[in-house]
Amino acid sequence: MLRVLQAIWQADGAFPSGAFAFSYGIEGALALRRDMTLGDFEALVAAMLKRRWASYDRVALLWSYRAGGDLEAIAAVDREVEASTLIETLRTGSRRNGGAYLASHARLGQPLAIALRDDVQAGNCLGHIAVMQGAVWSELGLDEALAQLCSGYTAASGVITAAIRLGAMGALQGQGVLQRCLPLIEQLAAQEVPDDVELSSFVPFLDIAAARHAQADLRLFAN
Amino acid sequence: MFHALRVSDNEARDGASAARVGIGGPVGSGKTALIEALIPVLQRRNIDFAVVTNDLVTKEDAERLRRSGLIDPARVSAVEAGACPHTVIREDPTLNIAAGDELEARFPGLELILFESGGDNLASTFSLDLVDWWIFVIDVAGGDDIPRKRGPGLLRCDLLVVNKVDLAPHVGVDLDRMLADARQVRGTKPVIPTNLKSGVGVEAVVDAISAAVLFRV
Ligand SMILES: Nc1nc2c(ncn2[C@@H]2O[C@H](COP(=O)(O)OP(=O)(O)O)[C@@H](O)[C@H]2O)c(=O)[nH]1
Ligand SMILES: [Mg+2]
Repeated sequence: MLRVLQAIWQADGAFPSGAFAFSYGIEGALALRRDMTLGDFEALVAAMLKRRWASYDRVALLWSYRAGGDLEAIAAVDREVEASTLIETLRTGSRRNGGAYLASHARLGQPLAIALRDDVQAGNCLGHIAVMQGAVWSELGLDEALAQLCSGYTAASGVITAAIRLGAMGALQGQGVLQRCLPLIEQLAAQEVPDDVELSSFVPFLDIAAARHAQADLRLFAN
Repeated sequence: MFHALRVSDNEARDGASAARVGIGGPVGSGKTALIEALIPVLQRRNIDFAVVTNDLVTKEDAERLRRSGLIDPARVSAVEAGACPHTVIREDPTLNIAAGDELEARFPGLELILFESGGDNLASTFSLDLVDWWIFVIDVAGGDDIPRKRGPGLLRCDLLVVNKVDLAPHVGVDLDRMLADARQVRGTKPVIPTNLKSGVGVEAVVDAISAAVLFRV
Protein backbone atom coordinates (compact mmCIF):
# COMPACT_ATOMS: atom_id res chain seq x y z
CA MET A 1 0.00 0.00 0.00
CA LEU A 2 2.97 2.29 0.46
CA ARG A 3 3.31 2.83 -3.28
CA VAL A 4 -0.35 3.93 -3.45
CA LEU A 5 0.30 6.42 -0.67
CA GLN A 6 3.38 7.66 -2.50
CA ALA A 7 1.21 8.17 -5.59
CA ILE A 8 -1.42 10.10 -3.63
CA TRP A 9 1.37 12.25 -2.19
CA GLN A 10 2.66 13.02 -5.68
CA ALA A 11 -0.77 13.72 -7.19
CA ASP A 12 -1.77 16.05 -4.34
CA GLY A 13 -2.03 19.66 -5.51
CA ALA A 14 -0.28 20.68 -2.27
CA PHE A 15 2.97 19.04 -3.40
CA PRO A 16 5.13 21.96 -4.64
CA SER A 17 6.03 21.42 -8.29
CA GLY A 18 5.44 24.79 -9.92
CA ALA A 19 2.42 23.39 -11.78
CA PHE A 20 0.08 26.13 -10.56
CA ALA A 21 1.75 28.74 -12.80
CA PHE A 22 0.98 26.93 -16.07
CA SER A 23 -2.32 26.53 -17.90
CA TYR A 24 -0.95 24.60 -20.92
CA GLY A 25 -3.11 26.54 -23.36
CA ILE A 26 -6.28 26.87 -21.28
CA GLU A 27 -5.90 30.60 -20.54
CA GLY A 28 -5.50 31.24 -24.27
CA ALA A 29 -8.43 28.97 -25.12
CA LEU A 30 -10.75 30.76 -22.70
CA ALA A 31 -9.68 34.10 -24.15
CA LEU A 32 -10.40 32.87 -27.69
CA ARG A 33 -13.80 31.37 -26.95
CA ARG A 34 -15.56 33.85 -24.73
CA ASP A 35 -18.82 31.95 -25.23
CA MET A 36 -17.38 28.60 -24.15
CA THR A 37 -19.87 26.56 -22.13
CA LEU A 38 -19.01 24.22 -19.31
CA GLY A 39 -19.80 21.34 -21.69
CA ASP A 40 -17.39 22.74 -24.30
CA PHE A 41 -14.72 23.04 -21.63
CA GLU A 42 -15.25 19.47 -20.51
CA ALA A 43 -14.95 18.28 -24.11
CA LEU A 44 -11.72 20.28 -24.45
CA VAL A 45 -10.22 18.67 -21.35
CA ALA A 46 -11.23 15.23 -22.67
CA ALA A 47 -9.61 16.01 -26.03
CA MET A 48 -6.46 17.15 -24.26
CA LEU A 49 -6.34 13.91 -22.27
CA LYS A 50 -6.92 11.71 -25.33
CA ARG A 51 -4.84 13.49 -27.90
CA ARG A 52 -2.09 15.18 -25.93
CA TRP A 53 -1.70 13.46 -22.59
CA ALA A 54 -2.29 9.80 -23.57
CA SER A 55 -0.28 9.80 -26.78
CA TYR A 56 2.43 12.26 -25.81
CA ASP A 57 3.09 13.07 -22.14
CA ARG A 58 2.16 9.57 -21.01
CA VAL A 59 4.45 7.97 -23.59
CA ALA A 60 7.38 10.21 -22.63
CA LEU A 61 6.65 9.52 -18.96
CA LEU A 62 6.76 5.75 -19.46
CA TRP A 63 9.91 5.80 -21.58
CA SER A 64 11.63 7.82 -18.90
CA TYR A 65 10.21 5.54 -16.20
CA ARG A 66 11.56 2.51 -18.06
CA ALA A 67 15.02 4.10 -18.27
CA GLY A 68 15.38 2.99 -14.64
CA GLY A 69 17.48 5.97 -13.57
CA ASP A 70 19.91 5.85 -16.53
CA LEU A 71 20.75 9.53 -17.04
CA GLU A 72 21.77 9.11 -20.69
CA ALA A 73 18.54 7.32 -21.58
CA ILE A 74 16.45 9.91 -19.70
CA ALA A 75 18.23 12.74 -21.54
CA ALA A 76 17.46 11.04 -24.86
CA VAL A 77 13.72 10.97 -24.07
CA ASP A 78 13.99 14.57 -22.97
CA ARG A 79 15.53 15.60 -26.30
CA GLU A 80 12.76 13.78 -28.13
CA VAL A 81 10.14 15.79 -26.22
CA GLU A 82 12.00 19.03 -26.91
CA ALA A 83 12.21 18.29 -30.61
CA SER A 84 8.57 17.37 -30.98
CA THR A 85 6.90 20.16 -29.00
CA LEU A 86 6.04 22.71 -31.64
CA ILE A 87 4.62 25.54 -29.57
CA GLU A 88 7.37 27.49 -27.84
CA THR A 89 5.52 28.39 -24.62
CA LEU A 90 4.45 24.79 -24.15
CA ARG A 91 8.04 23.71 -24.61
CA THR A 92 9.60 26.28 -22.27
CA GLY A 93 6.70 25.89 -19.81
CA SER A 94 7.26 22.16 -19.64
CA ARG A 95 10.95 22.73 -18.97
CA ARG A 96 10.35 25.31 -16.26
CA ASN A 97 7.68 23.15 -14.66
CA GLY A 98 10.15 20.24 -14.73
CA GLY A 99 12.89 22.41 -13.21
CA ALA A 100 10.61 23.40 -10.32
CA TYR A 101 9.55 19.78 -9.82
CA LEU A 102 13.22 18.72 -9.66
CA ALA A 103 14.00 21.57 -7.25
CA SER A 104 11.36 20.12 -4.93
CA HIS A 105 12.62 16.55 -5.00
CA ALA A 106 16.24 17.67 -4.86
CA ARG A 107 15.55 19.67 -1.69
CA LEU A 108 13.85 16.60 -0.27
CA GLY A 109 17.09 14.75 -0.91
CA GLN A 110 16.05 12.41 -3.76
CA PRO A 111 19.39 11.38 -5.33
CA LEU A 112 18.19 11.00 -8.94
CA ALA A 113 16.43 14.38 -8.74
CA ILE A 114 19.68 15.97 -7.55
CA ALA A 115 21.59 14.33 -10.43
CA LEU A 116 18.96 15.44 -12.96
CA ARG A 117 18.85 18.99 -11.59
CA ASP A 118 22.63 19.20 -11.93
CA ASP A 119 22.40 17.76 -15.45
CA VAL A 120 19.82 20.38 -16.41
CA GLN A 121 22.05 23.15 -15.03
CA ALA A 122 25.01 21.74 -16.92
CA GLY A 123 22.96 21.67 -20.12
CA ASN A 124 23.09 17.86 -20.51
CA CYS A 125 19.36 17.54 -20.05
CA LEU A 126 16.41 19.90 -20.59
CA GLY A 127 14.11 18.85 -17.77
CA HIS A 128 10.67 18.39 -19.38
CA ILE A 129 8.06 17.74 -16.72
CA ALA A 130 6.68 14.42 -17.98
CA VAL A 131 10.20 13.04 -18.41
CA MET A 132 11.31 14.17 -14.94
CA GLN A 133 8.15 12.74 -13.36
CA GLY A 134 8.70 9.36 -15.03
CA ALA A 135 12.31 9.25 -13.84
CA VAL A 136 11.63 10.27 -10.25
CA TRP A 137 8.43 8.24 -9.81
CA SER A 138 10.26 5.13 -10.88
CA GLU A 139 12.82 5.84 -8.12
CA LEU A 140 10.06 6.46 -5.60
CA GLY A 141 8.71 2.98 -6.28
CA LEU A 142 5.45 3.80 -8.07
CA ASP A 143 4.57 1.10 -10.58
CA GLU A 144 3.80 1.99 -14.22
CA ALA A 145 0.07 2.05 -13.63
CA LEU A 146 0.31 4.41 -10.65
CA ALA A 147 2.80 6.66 -12.43
CA GLN A 148 0.37 7.02 -15.34
CA LEU A 149 -2.60 7.68 -13.06
CA CYS A 150 -0.64 10.38 -11.19
CA SER A 151 0.40 11.96 -14.46
CA GLY A 152 -3.11 11.94 -15.95
CA TYR A 153 -4.65 13.22 -12.75
CA THR A 154 -2.19 16.11 -12.39
CA ALA A 155 -2.62 17.01 -16.08
CA ALA A 156 -6.41 17.21 -15.74
CA SER A 157 -6.50 18.85 -12.32
CA GLY A 158 -3.88 21.40 -13.43
CA VAL A 159 -5.87 22.77 -16.34
CA ILE A 160 -9.14 22.66 -14.39
CA THR A 161 -7.58 24.54 -11.46
CA ALA A 162 -6.25 27.13 -13.91
CA ALA A 163 -9.75 27.60 -15.38
CA ILE A 164 -11.22 28.01 -11.89
CA ARG A 165 -8.58 30.60 -11.02
CA LEU A 166 -9.38 32.47 -14.23
CA GLY A 167 -12.98 32.68 -13.07
CA ALA A 168 -14.29 30.57 -15.96
CA MET A 169 -16.17 28.25 -13.63
CA GLY A 170 -16.91 27.70 -9.97
CA ALA A 171 -14.66 25.54 -7.81
CA LEU A 172 -17.33 22.84 -7.53
CA GLN A 173 -18.21 22.95 -11.22
CA GLY A 174 -14.51 22.35 -11.86
CA GLN A 175 -14.46 19.40 -9.48
CA GLY A 176 -17.46 17.98 -11.34
CA VAL A 177 -15.48 18.09 -14.58
CA LEU A 178 -12.49 16.49 -12.86
CA GLN A 179 -14.61 13.74 -11.38
CA ARG A 180 -16.08 12.95 -14.80
CA CYS A 181 -12.53 12.81 -16.25
CA LEU A 182 -11.43 10.04 -13.89
CA PRO A 183 -12.90 7.08 -15.84
CA LEU A 184 -11.33 8.46 -19.02
CA ILE A 185 -7.91 8.69 -17.37
CA GLU A 186 -8.27 5.11 -16.15
CA GLN A 187 -9.26 3.92 -19.62
CA LEU A 188 -6.43 5.77 -21.37
CA ALA A 189 -3.85 4.56 -18.86
CA ALA A 190 -4.81 0.97 -19.67
CA GLN A 191 -3.57 1.31 -23.27
CA GLU A 192 -0.23 -0.37 -23.88
CA VAL A 193 2.78 1.81 -24.69
CA PRO A 194 5.27 -0.08 -26.85
CA ASP A 195 8.83 1.24 -26.92
CA ASP A 196 8.77 1.89 -30.67
CA VAL A 197 5.67 4.11 -30.77
CA GLU A 198 6.07 7.77 -31.87
CA LEU A 199 5.21 10.69 -29.63
CA SER A 200 2.09 12.26 -31.04
CA SER A 201 -0.02 15.21 -30.01
CA PHE A 202 -2.94 16.71 -31.90
CA VAL A 203 -5.12 19.32 -30.22
CA PRO A 204 -4.84 22.16 -32.76
CA PHE A 205 -7.28 24.46 -30.96
CA LEU A 206 -5.26 24.33 -27.72
CA ASP A 207 -1.96 24.71 -29.58
CA ILE A 208 -3.20 27.75 -31.49
CA ALA A 209 -4.63 29.20 -28.28
CA ALA A 210 -1.26 28.69 -26.55
CA ALA A 211 0.58 30.35 -29.44
CA ARG A 212 -1.77 33.35 -29.38
CA HIS A 213 -1.53 33.54 -25.60
CA ALA A 214 2.23 34.04 -25.89
CA GLN A 215 1.50 37.33 -27.71
CA ALA A 216 -1.07 38.60 -25.19
CA ASP A 217 -0.24 41.75 -23.22
CA LEU A 218 -2.07 40.56 -20.17
CA ARG A 219 -1.75 37.06 -18.86
CA LEU A 220 -1.78 35.34 -15.52
CA PHE A 221 -0.21 32.02 -16.51
CA ALA A 222 3.12 31.31 -18.12
CA ASN A 223 1.48 29.36 -20.95
CA MET B 1 1.68 34.52 16.56
CA PHE B 2 3.29 31.47 14.95
CA HIS B 3 6.98 31.55 14.31
CA ALA B 4 9.15 29.59 11.92
CA LEU B 5 10.57 26.37 13.31
CA ARG B 6 14.31 26.05 13.29
CA VAL B 7 15.74 23.43 10.98
CA SER B 8 18.82 21.38 11.68
CA ASP B 9 21.86 22.07 9.51
CA ASN B 10 21.39 19.13 7.19
CA GLU B 11 17.85 20.24 6.39
CA ALA B 12 18.88 23.76 5.44
CA ARG B 13 19.00 24.85 1.80
CA ASP B 14 21.40 22.51 0.05
CA GLY B 15 24.09 23.69 -2.29
CA ALA B 16 22.86 27.30 -2.33
CA SER B 17 25.68 29.72 -1.80
CA ALA B 18 24.22 33.15 -2.59
CA ALA B 19 22.14 34.68 0.18
CA ARG B 20 18.46 34.93 -0.79
CA VAL B 21 16.43 37.91 0.34
CA GLY B 22 12.69 38.36 -0.20
CA ILE B 23 10.96 41.71 -0.74
CA GLY B 24 7.21 41.51 -0.16
CA GLY B 25 4.35 43.88 0.54
CA PRO B 26 1.11 45.21 -0.94
CA VAL B 27 0.85 46.24 -4.59
CA GLY B 28 2.23 49.73 -5.16
CA SER B 29 4.05 50.07 -1.83
CA GLY B 30 7.39 50.52 -3.62
CA LYS B 31 9.03 47.07 -3.90
CA THR B 32 10.34 47.63 -7.42
CA ALA B 33 11.32 51.19 -6.49
CA LEU B 34 13.25 49.79 -3.53
CA ILE B 35 15.15 47.38 -5.79
CA GLU B 36 15.90 50.22 -8.21
CA ALA B 37 17.27 52.25 -5.31
CA LEU B 38 19.26 49.32 -3.88
CA ILE B 39 21.00 48.50 -7.17
CA PRO B 40 23.47 51.42 -7.30
CA VAL B 41 24.29 51.08 -3.61
CA LEU B 42 24.93 47.34 -3.92
CA GLN B 43 27.09 47.99 -6.97
CA ARG B 44 29.09 50.67 -5.17
CA ARG B 45 29.72 48.22 -2.35
CA ASN B 46 30.88 45.57 -4.85
CA ILE B 47 28.17 43.11 -3.90
CA ASP B 48 27.58 40.57 -6.68
CA PHE B 49 23.80 40.24 -6.98
CA ALA B 50 20.84 39.29 -9.19
CA VAL B 51 17.08 39.81 -9.05
CA VAL B 52 14.06 37.53 -9.51
CA THR B 53 10.68 39.22 -9.99
CA ASN B 54 7.28 37.60 -9.52
CA ASP B 55 4.86 39.52 -11.63
CA LEU B 56 1.18 38.87 -11.34
CA VAL B 57 0.47 39.63 -14.99
CA THR B 58 3.06 39.83 -17.75
CA LYS B 59 6.70 40.57 -16.96
CA GLU B 60 6.28 44.25 -16.29
CA ASP B 61 8.58 44.56 -13.27
CA ALA B 62 11.31 42.44 -14.83
CA GLU B 63 11.17 44.51 -18.01
CA ARG B 64 11.23 47.74 -16.00
CA LEU B 65 14.42 46.61 -14.25
CA ARG B 66 15.99 45.24 -17.43
CA ARG B 67 15.35 48.47 -19.30
CA SER B 68 16.48 50.66 -16.41
CA GLY B 69 20.09 50.43 -17.59
CA LEU B 70 21.01 49.94 -13.93
CA ILE B 71 21.71 46.22 -14.14
CA ASP B 72 22.83 43.62 -16.69
CA PRO B 73 19.46 42.35 -18.06
CA ALA B 74 20.73 38.75 -17.83
CA ARG B 75 20.77 39.18 -14.05
CA VAL B 76 17.01 39.71 -13.91
CA SER B 77 14.76 36.63 -14.05
CA ALA B 78 10.96 36.71 -14.20
CA VAL B 79 8.72 34.07 -12.66
CA GLU B 80 5.02 34.29 -13.53
CA ALA B 81 2.87 33.71 -10.50
CA GLY B 82 -0.11 31.94 -12.13
CA ALA B 83 -2.52 34.42 -10.51
CA CYS B 84 -1.23 33.39 -7.09
CA PRO B 85 1.31 35.87 -5.71
CA HIS B 86 1.35 34.24 -2.29
CA THR B 87 1.60 30.65 -3.58
CA VAL B 88 4.78 31.35 -5.53
CA ILE B 89 6.61 32.63 -2.44
CA ARG B 90 5.06 30.39 0.20
CA GLU B 91 3.08 27.22 -0.57
CA ASP B 92 4.96 26.43 -3.76
CA PRO B 93 8.22 28.39 -3.99
CA THR B 94 9.83 25.84 -6.34
CA LEU B 95 9.73 28.04 -9.47
CA ASN B 96 11.55 30.74 -7.53
CA ILE B 97 13.99 28.24 -6.03
CA ALA B 98 14.76 26.93 -9.53
CA ALA B 99 15.17 30.49 -10.88
CA GLY B 100 17.63 31.22 -8.05
CA ASP B 101 19.56 27.99 -8.66
CA GLU B 102 19.75 28.81 -12.34
CA LEU B 103 21.13 32.31 -11.66
CA GLU B 104 23.73 30.83 -9.32
CA ALA B 105 24.79 28.34 -11.95
CA ARG B 106 25.13 31.12 -14.54
CA PHE B 107 26.91 33.63 -12.26
CA PRO B 108 29.22 31.58 -10.03
CA GLY B 109 30.38 34.53 -7.89
CA LEU B 110 26.84 35.53 -6.94
CA GLU B 111 26.51 36.67 -3.32
CA LEU B 112 22.94 37.90 -3.14
CA ILE B 113 19.64 37.22 -4.92
CA LEU B 114 16.69 39.55 -4.32
CA PHE B 115 13.20 38.08 -4.87
CA GLU B 116 10.44 40.63 -5.47
CA SER B 117 7.01 39.29 -4.58
CA GLY B 118 4.19 40.03 -7.01
CA GLY B 119 2.37 42.18 -4.50
CA ASP B 120 -0.22 40.83 -2.16
CA ASN B 121 -2.03 41.74 1.02
CA LEU B 122 -0.87 42.16 4.59
CA ALA B 123 -0.98 38.39 5.19
CA SER B 124 1.72 37.45 2.73
CA THR B 125 4.88 35.85 4.07
CA PHE B 126 7.92 34.23 2.44
CA SER B 127 8.73 30.54 2.81
CA LEU B 128 12.06 29.98 4.53
CA ASP B 129 12.68 27.28 1.92
CA LEU B 130 13.12 30.13 -0.50
CA VAL B 131 14.74 33.00 1.40
CA ASP B 132 17.12 33.41 4.31
CA TRP B 133 15.73 36.76 5.31
CA TRP B 134 12.95 39.00 4.06
CA ILE B 135 11.76 42.57 3.91
CA PHE B 136 8.14 43.73 3.96
CA VAL B 137 7.43 47.11 2.34
CA ILE B 138 4.39 49.18 3.31
CA ASP B 139 3.81 52.84 2.52
CA VAL B 140 2.37 55.73 4.47
CA ALA B 141 -0.27 56.38 1.80
CA GLY B 142 -1.79 52.99 2.65
CA GLY B 143 -2.90 54.51 5.97
CA ASP B 144 -1.36 54.88 9.41
CA ASP B 145 -3.56 52.13 10.82
CA ILE B 146 -1.64 49.42 8.91
CA PRO B 147 0.78 48.63 11.78
CA ARG B 148 -2.13 48.31 14.19
CA LYS B 149 -3.75 45.74 11.90
CA ARG B 150 -0.82 43.44 12.73
CA GLY B 151 -0.80 41.48 9.47
CA PRO B 152 1.52 38.44 9.45
CA GLY B 153 3.72 40.04 6.78
CA LEU B 154 4.36 43.08 8.91
CA LEU B 155 4.90 41.11 12.12
CA ARG B 156 7.06 38.28 10.83
CA CYS B 157 9.35 39.95 8.32
CA ASP B 158 12.97 40.47 9.32
CA LEU B 159 12.90 44.11 8.25
CA LEU B 160 9.89 46.39 7.88
CA VAL B 161 10.31 49.26 5.44
CA VAL B 162 7.82 52.13 5.77
CA ASN B 163 8.09 53.84 2.40
CA LYS B 164 6.86 57.11 0.86
CA VAL B 165 7.47 59.10 4.03
CA ASP B 166 7.46 62.18 1.79
CA LEU B 167 3.73 61.66 1.28
CA ALA B 168 2.77 61.73 4.97
CA PRO B 169 1.69 65.39 5.08
CA HIS B 170 -0.33 64.98 1.87
CA VAL B 171 -2.36 62.02 3.07
CA GLY B 172 -2.92 63.22 6.62
CA VAL B 173 -0.69 60.59 8.23
CA ASP B 174 1.09 61.20 11.52
CA LEU B 175 4.40 59.57 10.55
CA ASP B 176 5.92 59.53 14.04
CA ARG B 177 2.88 57.78 15.41
CA MET B 178 2.84 55.28 12.52
CA LEU B 179 6.51 54.42 13.09
CA ALA B 180 6.00 54.17 16.85
CA ASP B 181 3.06 51.79 16.32
CA ALA B 182 5.12 49.69 13.91
CA ARG B 183 8.03 49.47 16.36
CA GLN B 184 5.70 48.61 19.18
CA VAL B 185 4.06 45.66 17.39
CA ARG B 186 7.44 44.40 16.11
CA GLY B 187 9.27 44.36 19.41
CA THR B 188 13.01 44.31 18.75
CA LYS B 189 12.81 43.69 14.98
CA PRO B 190 13.92 46.65 12.85
CA VAL B 191 11.78 49.26 11.06
CA ILE B 192 13.33 51.62 8.49
CA PRO B 193 11.46 54.64 7.06
CA THR B 194 12.31 55.43 3.42
CA ASN B 195 11.60 57.95 0.71
CA LEU B 196 12.63 56.19 -2.47
CA LYS B 197 12.08 59.31 -4.55
CA SER B 198 14.98 61.01 -2.77
CA GLY B 199 16.90 57.97 -1.49
CA VAL B 200 16.30 58.49 2.23
CA GLY B 201 16.86 55.24 4.16
CA VAL B 202 18.33 53.23 1.28
CA GLU B 203 21.83 52.99 2.77
CA ALA B 204 20.29 51.78 6.03
CA VAL B 205 18.42 49.02 4.16
CA VAL B 206 21.64 47.85 2.49
CA ASP B 207 23.42 47.97 5.87
CA ALA B 208 20.70 45.74 7.31
CA ILE B 209 20.93 43.24 4.42
CA SER B 210 24.73 43.19 4.64
CA ALA B 211 24.76 42.61 8.36
CA ALA B 212 22.04 39.96 8.30
CA VAL B 213 22.97 37.75 5.35
CA LEU B 214 26.30 38.88 3.90
CA PHE B 215 27.96 39.11 7.31
CA ARG B 216 29.53 42.42 6.34
CA VAL B 217 29.29 45.39 8.67
N1 LIG C 1 6.16 59.82 -3.42
C1 LIG C 1 6.75 58.63 -3.44
N2 LIG C 1 6.39 57.73 -4.41
C2 LIG C 1 7.01 56.54 -4.42
C3 LIG C 1 8.00 56.18 -3.47
N3 LIG C 1 8.40 54.92 -3.73
C4 LIG C 1 7.69 54.48 -4.80
N4 LIG C 1 6.86 55.47 -5.23
C5 LIG C 1 5.92 55.39 -6.36
O1 LIG C 1 4.90 54.44 -6.02
C6 LIG C 1 4.47 53.76 -7.19
C7 LIG C 1 4.54 52.25 -6.99
O2 LIG C 1 5.89 51.84 -6.84
P1 LIG C 1 6.41 50.42 -7.28
O3 LIG C 1 7.84 50.33 -6.93
O4 LIG C 1 6.01 50.10 -8.68
O5 LIG C 1 5.53 49.48 -6.31
P2 LIG C 1 5.46 47.89 -6.19
O6 LIG C 1 4.14 47.49 -6.77
O7 LIG C 1 5.49 47.63 -4.72
O8 LIG C 1 6.63 47.32 -6.91
C8 LIG C 1 5.34 54.22 -8.33
O9 LIG C 1 4.63 55.20 -9.06
C9 LIG C 1 6.54 54.84 -7.62
O10 LIG C 1 7.14 55.86 -8.36
C10 LIG C 1 8.35 57.16 -2.46
O11 LIG C 1 9.18 56.94 -1.57
N5 LIG C 1 7.68 58.36 -2.50
MG1 LIG D 1 6.70 45.83 -8.40
